[in-house]
Amino acid sequence: MTGDDPGDHPGDPGVDLAPERPGALVLRTPILAAAGCLGYGVEAVGQVDLSALGAVVTRGTTLHARAGGPAPRMTDAPGGLLHALGHQNPGITTVLERHAPRWVTWEVPVILSLVATSAEEFAALAERTDGIPGISGLELDLGSVESGRKGRPISYDALSVGHIVAAVRAATDLPVLVKLSITSPDLRGVGRAAAEAGADALDCGSGPPALLQGRRAMLSGPAVGPLALRAVSELARRSRLPIVGCGGVTTLHDATAMLEAGAVAVAVGTAMLADPSLPIRLAAELADQRPS
Amino acid sequence: MDGELLAAREYLPGHWLQTWRVPSLASRAQPGQYAYVATPPGWSVPLLRPVTLHGFDRVPGEVVVQLAPDAPAQGWLAPLPPGGRATFAGPFGRPLRIDPSAHHLLLIAEGSSIGRLRSLVDRALGAGRQVAVLLGAISASEVYPSSLLPDEVEYAVATADGSLGHHGAVLDMVPSYEAWADQAFAAGSPDMLQDLVTLLRGRDARLGVARLARRPGRRSARGAAAAPRDWLQVVLEQRVGCVLGVCLGCSVEGATGPVRVCREGPAFASQELAWSDPA
Repeated sequence: MTGDDPGDHPGDPGVDLAPERPGALVLRTPILAAAGCLGYGVEAVGQVDLSALGAVVTRGTTLHARAGGPAPRMTDAPGGLLHALGHQNPGITTVLERHAPRWVTWEVPVILSLVATSAEEFAALAERTDGIPGISGLELDLGSVESGRKGRPISYDALSVGHIVAAVRAATDLPVLVKLSITSPDLRGVGRAAAEAGADALDCGSGPPALLQGRRAMLSGPAVGPLALRAVSELARRSRLPIVGCGGVTTLHDATAMLEAGAVAVAVGTAMLADPSLPIRLAAELADQRPS
Repeated sequence: MDGELLAAREYLPGHWLQTWRVPSLASRAQPGQYAYVATPPGWSVPLLRPVTLHGFDRVPGEVVVQLAPDAPAQGWLAPLPPGGRATFAGPFGRPLRIDPSAHHLLLIAEGSSIGRLRSLVDRALGAGRQVAVLLGAISASEVYPSSLLPDEVEYAVATADGSLGHHGAVLDMVPSYEAWADQAFAAGSPDMLQDLVTLLRGRDARLGVARLARRPGRRSARGAAAAPRDWLQVVLEQRVGCVLGVCLGCSVEGATGPVRVCREGPAFASQELAWSDPA
């Protein structure tokens, strides 16, 4: 998308998620569909007006196909949703062959979410996407545990984050969004590492780690809203990069709070599962609220 | 689609049957399918909760929703008085299908999961077929009342504590019926279904049925309905998820790769799913 006036109103510059790459990733509206909530987008065609979204972030995609985790993968938790999907996806080759030809025909930018456990794997994924029409940006999902290490997700470790972002940066000219964890003990540090390594924007971010019947899982939904808000606020005070706020957004009030905390755009996730048109409604309400 | 609660009864402690007027749902529902109900404003997480369609009647436009104690929608639906309202979506998923040549249908269920098969009873009897229902429960106090089944149904119960019917597991009763049944349908816990599939692996040998060679080829898991000629069809439980079929929260391992319970299911031919080999 490279129009002169990508925003909803004439003269509206839209939301630029990659200011260093003019015109590369400019959103018409600051409301996005969070990773995977519309699959690869193609599944939602005819059911959701994708052109009314700021961007579609795809399901997390790995180098090779993954069958995903065992059932149950998803269940209610008080105030939220526990999920342990195991990144079911058909692998990057199939995704690009199957979906990129359709993405290229869409007005809405498609941000491909990448999942890997090492810098080499992330770089290999990025290389595969470089030059493929229809992809407007990459989101690096750093929620996995780094290959050869135990315990904490990559997004908790500034050194690892910097290493991975640098590897991806060297492999592609596409805008790169780095998805951080809202419960990272060193959020400023990992944000700084991502910025210094060449990230274009920060996505803040992944929900807290949890357990679902003894398996690693993630908590999302309204329960994590205040945590996400704090994380966005903390990052925004320290980072020069655009920030996408994500976590527990279900109402216009939630979205506005994210923007006031310093996010330039807001990704809607769990709430979309019940109401796929929610982000479109939020985008319209937000546009009405803003002075024309 | 807006629904109005017409009547409710607690048929066992914590187990409810609610009759809702939702004409557009009732007119399209098929046995084995499910619906979603939206949480009311301000209720916890704004997720749609799946509900079991225990029955439906197209003429008055009514559906009977079953709520078990652990049903995701139990918390706010059960206390609703007649006249209460809720928003439904559906029906969703692939239905159960009766083989046109099948006259004797065997239904095997565990606990409240009989609700997922209950509308098949009405469909089968309405088409002049015979139905036997085998139900397993922990004890007599948790047995689905026979008064909720038509008189024409043969109903056999097994309880783990022996307080009613056969003392043991529901699967103990299956061999007595497998020669009679032209087709079988099952709902229950994953462990129970796995044990049933394992048990039925020996069915042909027990019945002395010659195994005929089939033409090679892969059957798609995405057909319009569970393949009608499969002897055993199972209905898996649908859990919280999305309305578009994109979240993959309900995926299970199929014979040829992951399948979504919400779309490719919840009714599956048993051979469409991946089962463990017997130890």
